[in-house]
Amino acid sequence: MSNHEWESLNDKEFETILEKSVSDFPPDDVIEAVTPWRKAMRRVLIGMALCAVTLNFLCLNYILPAVGMVLSLLGFRTLRRENKWFRNCFIISVIRVAYFFPVLILNTTIIQRIIFTSPVTSLLTVTNLLLLFAELFCFWCALRTVQRKVNLPPRAGSALALIIWYALMCVLAVIQYKGWVIGGAMIIGYIFIIFHIFKLSKELDEAGYSIQTVSAKVTERCIVLVLLSVLIIGCALGYLFGGSYPMDWRTVDSSEHIAVEGIKKHLMELGFPEYVLNDLTPEDIAACDGALQVVVAVTDKPVNNGRTVTKQYSHGDEHHIVHKTIYDAKELRMTGVGVQIPGEREKWIIFHHFLWIIDPGFYGTESIQLWPVYRNIADGWAPDGKVTGRVLYDKGGETFVAPYYSLDNQTFTSNSIFWGVQTSTDVFAAFSMPRQGENYRGYVAYPIAEIQDSYIITSWINYTHQRSWLQYPAMTAMEKRMTNSWNVSGAFITVQDALQFYPTKEGAELIK
Amino acid sequence: MQQQEIIELLLQRNEKGMDALLLHYGPMMKYIIAPILQNPQDQEDCLFEVAMRVWEKIEQFNRERGSWNAWLTAITRNAALNYTRDTRRHNSIEEIPEDTPSPEPGPEELMIQRERQSAVHHALSQLSPRDRMLFYRKYYYLQPTAQIASELGMTERAIEGKLYRLKKQLRKMLGGEAHE
Repeated sequence: MSNHEWESLNDKEFETILEKSVSDFPPDDVIEAVTPWRKAMRRVLIGMALCAVTLNFLCLNYILPAVGMVLSLLGFRTLRRENKWFRNCFIISVIRVAYFFPVLILNTTIIQRIIFTSPVTSLLTVTNLLLLFAELFCFWCALRTVQRKVNLPPRAGSALALIIWYALMCVLAVIQYKGWVIGGAMIIGYIFIIFHIFKLSKELDEAGYSIQTVSAKVTERCIVLVLLSVLIIGCALGYLFGGSYPMDWRTVDSSEHIAVEGIKKHLMELGFPEYVLNDLTPEDIAACDGALQVVVAVTDKPVNNGRTVTKQYSHGDEHHIVHKTIYDAKELRMTGVGVQIPGEREKWIIFHHFLWIIDPGFYGTESIQLWPVYRNIADGWAPDGKVTGRVLYDKGGETFVAPYYSLDNQTFTSNSIFWGVQTSTDVFAAFSMPRQGENYRGYVAYPIAEIQDSYIITSWINYTHQRSWLQYPAMTAMEKRMTNSWNVSGAFITVQDALQFYPTKEGAELIK
Repeated sequence: MQQQEIIELLLQRNEKGMDALLLHYGPMMKYIIAPILQNPQDQEDCLFEVAMRVWEKIEQFNRERGSWNAWLTAITRNAALNYTRDTRRHNSIEEIPEDTPSPEPGPEELMIQRERQSAVHHALSQLSPRDRMLFYRKYYYLQPTAQIASELGMTERAIEGKLYRLKKQLRKMLGGEAHE
């Protein structure tokens, strides 16, 4: 047939000729694909397989179940009119998606840990498990109903085996089994079951031709796009507005220090840095009334990864390579101040002040973990009052101040490869800084009293800075610090500083 | 029962083979017949005819020409198309004059058909698997748009759009410009 002849055909003739011109034997890939069953069933099975896989890296423990749930939802959506069991599966998969996707969005905020308290998490876990078992049971019944419909013997043992497998997994989770023997057997069992369900699905292809599908008003692509859009927009909003603490910022009252000007002057004469003194609350300055001596240690700390410089040198026949990290910028100025105040026994007030010399960019939360003197030297020093402090920043020539979002003792359990599982209680100051500002700063202070003579004063702080918004699930700097992770880990970096000196009658001797 | 067992039973002229054929492949046959014959009674009759054809022609089945499912699909589709043609002819028999030429194609028509088949086959081989599947659903299985849409999880409008573009593409491949 020449080009001219094809051209001369109108639309109807062209279609008629196409119908007549298809060869009698369609290709095998077409035969396999043209069925109302296979695509929907494959989606359901792949979805189930993905939901059961837990890979704790690259966020795959969230991505795979999310993809799995959407695939199951689409699969059951196609099959929902076939019988009541498939319809139930569809309803359950909708509920599971409606539960899981908001959780995925909430995970981009720091409020998820407030919402998902232990009882709430337990309740949701149990509900989710019940839904999963209900879905598997309905799936098993649905397969048997399809087989019965076309007079095939009802056999769906592998679907039943999957229910038993999940039940066993629950038992192992409840008894907190951590061994490899049963764990390995469960993994092998799971692969075996999934393989058999796929085989069963293939066998059911014969019965699957009888499936009744429903015409859709909304396309699958549309459903996927809507879910994806909700997820992306929700996560973006979560990262934008849900990653910081709500701070009670207000402008500093310029007259707040009038009543303590005399004490301030005396402290400055003793060497108390003015830039630190100006940031203290009147109450903290007043607590230093009658100060006997002041000890100051200032250090500029890098809050970046630096750059590695490699040097090669030869010593006789020996060649050496030295790698050194150079920090071109030191963004954080840490100032430790000790003020001795009068008392029957020796008394000190310890101040840890921080000042961002270079704006690091604030993406969420910051935290200060305090290791007070009496934590390490409990025999020599005791607490003599509570920990105080506040945070400040400048903007447009004005100074803004806020109390910490929280400043109190936190008890936490961490697991370290060096020390194993440890439960500790430390003072944590948690806060967030606004993005438009300068001279971000703050301090913590606490009084100590001597118990025994001749003990050094050693006070530590660990400042944890969030240097990126990108972390999933979102955690606060304080929570990150509580995991006892490395100082540079994920979205966070921790800087450590200490004020250490020997308090003597002749004057304090600073330890550098 | 395995596919090979059914074929062997049919080759041995064992009636159990027929039962097994209808049990295991009946749903597929019905699935192929349904879009071509809408009347349920016609569908049942046609299914019986297909089973009879398989029984009669089982010796012609040759794996080298195509798989068992492809062979069954071809037999079922042709039987359903013949059934439609026969029904139409039967319904309008009184109107056909004696001197009407035979509907069977002549040698020249057969040659043209072969040429067309070869051209369409070549064009189809250049389509994406998804488009090829859509083509077969529409022009081989003769499935209505609503059925294609529901089975592919799309709207009828979306399927119509895809089919329109597919036709346009095929026209271009076959050397003719689209008639708007």
